Amino acid sequence: MATEYVKYVDVTKCDGCRACMVACKNWNDLPAEPQDFLGTMQSHANVTADTWNVLTFVEHENSKGNLDYLFRHSSCFHCTDAACEKVCPENAISYTDKGMVVVDQDTCVGCGYCVQNCPFDVIQLKNYKDENGKEYRKAHKCTMCTDRLDEGLQPACVTTCHTGAMEFGEKDDIIRKAEKRVNEIKERYPNAMVYNPQGVGGTHTIYVLAEKPSVYGLPENPKVPTSAVLWKDYAQPIGKAMVGGVAMALAGAFVANKFFDKKNGGHEEDGGGNRE
Amino acid sequence: MVEINLNRRQFLKLTGAAAATLAVVELGFNEKEVHASTKEFKIAKSTVTPTICCYCGVGCGILVHTKDDTVVYTEGDPDNPINEGKLCSKGTTLRQLYTSEKRLTKPLYRAPGSDKWEEKSWDWMYDTIAKRVKETRDKTFVHKEDGMIVNKTETIASLGGAALDNEETYLLAKLMRGLGVTYIEHQARI
Repeated sequence: MATEYVKYVDVTKCDGCRACMVACKNWNDLPAEPQDFLGTMQSHANVTADTWNVLTFVEHENSKGNLDYLFRHSSCFHCTDAACEKVCPENAISYTDKGMVVVDQDTCVGCGYCVQNCPFDVIQLKNYKDENGKEYRKAHKCTMCTDRLDEGLQPACVTTCHTGAMEFGEKDDIIRKAEKRVNEIKERYPNAMVYNPQGVGGTHTIYVLAEKPSVYGLPENPKVPTSAVLWKDYAQPIGKAMVGGVAMALAGAFVANKFFDKKNGGHEEDGGGNRE
Repeated sequence: MVEINLNRRQFLKLTGAAAATLAVVELGFNEKEVHASTKEFKIAKSTVTPTICCYCGVGCGILVHTKDDTVVYTEGDPDNPINEGKLCSKGTTLRQLYTSEKRLTKPLYRAPGSDKWEEKSWDWMYDTIAKRVKETRDKTFVHKEDGMIVNKTETIASLGGAALDNEETYLLAKLMRGLGVTYIEHQARI
């Protein structure tokens, strides 16, 4: 793998303007999803197939009894060890050379295993209709603007962030930066931490959180389900090896057969069959 | 069990054929890569035009990417010293000013007391506005108040917008002062 890059989100610098949400829609040409008022400032309850990132607003009473209004840019974490990639039966989900997790829309069959297994609930299905009126589904999520990264640009959400709450850079630099920032804000936010969960091998969106992950509705220690590991790392390769073995045997038999036929006709002229 | 009787030449041919089969089956084509390289980058051949955001008094710089007679993308102008490539959620939607289906493409007129909008031509609009401004101004112009020359028109007000640039606001203020308008306000105070 080439150099790993990560998106850095410092929630303590976020002012909740939601430009990242709009920038994402603007770059990826995603349609608007009008919602009813949810009773808070939050526009959408969760990430959807057409809204790849959502700014969450949490009203939290801190240890001093004061109100903390916590904002968080929520989108795909691009896990190093991604559950969605593990469970995908069609191998439609893969890692890019920079470490991002992407869905190949042509291969996806819309089975929804990734949706069920994502520890962060950030991949969703979208319904489509083909020209015969037959319904089908595809999984969609944040791509970390992989097309922009390939052209040397940064993700759309990062480029638009006016408070500098989001940055994009090399993984090691960003982790150092995040740890430094946590030390700076410890006085104001005693529970501040870097969120880069190791249960999924670390992520490619690294957060500086002002509170414990559970306050933001994040799992404290997300894991790839054991069944997914068994499926991808053991069951699938063995199954594939068997299919491959059969295919090779068939191909081999076909080729060998051709030679046998030829041998029957032309063995005498060729001559010197078993000289060695 | 089949007994395979091969001479050297046949053996070589057979291994070569097997390798070729393998190559086609396993290594020959990476469908994903072929697909990826055929999909063109969204702003690859777009024309880039810098502009100023029309929404508030900050005046952020925006780059407009146009291709095939439509706007394909807008983004903050990194070279602009005001916003340095950043934008707010509203400025980020600037593309929709052009692409939205709800965009007005003709002037609409609603007569006093009417509840309907009707389409009018620009010429009609300009003529009517000029006529009515002149009429109102002439009817209500105050030359003297308490023995002092005031030369004012209190029945007309002017509200500027952030879409106006420096020169336009100058001209607008000049025209309004000329008419004697005293209520001159601007939306971009925020």
